[in-house]
Amino acid sequence: MLKRRDGGFVLIEFAIALPLLILIAWGLASVTAKIFYLSKNQLADYVLETEAQYVIERVTQRARAASSITVEREEKYNLKIDKIELKYRAVNDDPENANLNVADVLERQIFVVDNKKLHAKRIDDGASTSPITGDNYFGGTQINLFHCDLNETEKILHVTLEMESLISGHKIKINTAVFMPGYGS
Amino acid sequence: MRRLKNILGNQRGFMLINVVFLTVITSFAAMILMDAAPRIRNNQTSMRLIALNLANEQFAYLESRAARGLEPDAGFLGEGEDLINDSFGNENMPINFTVETSVTGGGNLRSVTVTVKWQSGGENFEIESERTIRIVETS
Repeated sequence: MLKRRDGGFVLIEFAIALPLLILIAWGLASVTAKIFYLSKNQLADYVLETEAQYVIERVTQRARAASSITVEREEKYNLKIDKIELKYRAVNDDPENANLNVADVLERQIFVVDNKKLHAKRIDDGASTSPITGDNYFGGTQINLFHCDLNETEKILHVTLEMESLISGHKIKINTAVFMPGYGS
Repeated sequence: MRRLKNILGNQRGFMLINVVFLTVITSFAAMILMDAAPRIRNNQTSMRLIALNLANEQFAYLESRAARGLEPDAGFLGEGEDLINDSFGNENMPINFTVETSVTGGGNLRSVTVTVKWQSGGENFEIESERTIRIVETS
């Protein structure tokens, strides 16, 4: 028996409220999912941009001090991927340290792409254990293009790098060049 | 039925019309959010990175010329195709960069300013990069 002061919902109220609640919950869930999706992509794009910047800066800084460069043209995974070996002059900023004070030391740096990741190596032993790109927790990346053109007359190394985020699918392509005053010396 | 009316008539709370209005407003808010959210992603940091490297490319060629005793040139000296970039989903509408160089100074030293400009989403952007370059005397 229904009484005027009874608390609670009547079935008809519940029947009206439930679809409305579902509608509102669905809308909020969609927005939340979209925001999470965008956040994930933004983080992955940030990783992509940071890694691309790191690679291009590292290669150009090494090349700037290079005395010789060897570029091997390679076709891997149907992509243009070069292998580059630089010999550059190590800089000693500590004249007090006799052990380090060895003038004009030449160091070797090899940049090679394996498994679509760039590896920076000191020796060319074929092992690929030192990737400097690709393994970030917030978003994997791959190298799509790593192309180096050496102009020996003008002492310029032109570098093209294209990287892709495995999460967002976005690509970034950076072109730059570096003048190598000590090249050939 | 009269009993039901009596019970519901005295209840305080939301009426159906309130809830419907709320649902409509919430839906509109959701639509606006979902539409606006992709625009939060600002690719301009990436574009600045690309532009900065283009400026570095120009500096590399200017330095190379200077090392051979040649004066800096105002035009873009790098690869022409580098000025078109389709990064970040701009495959259909690649972004065109323009590189301008201004040179001041006398003697052997030149103060060089490279300005890279581009347009994205109807807005104009630019970065400026400066460097001092020494012209080598080749006598």
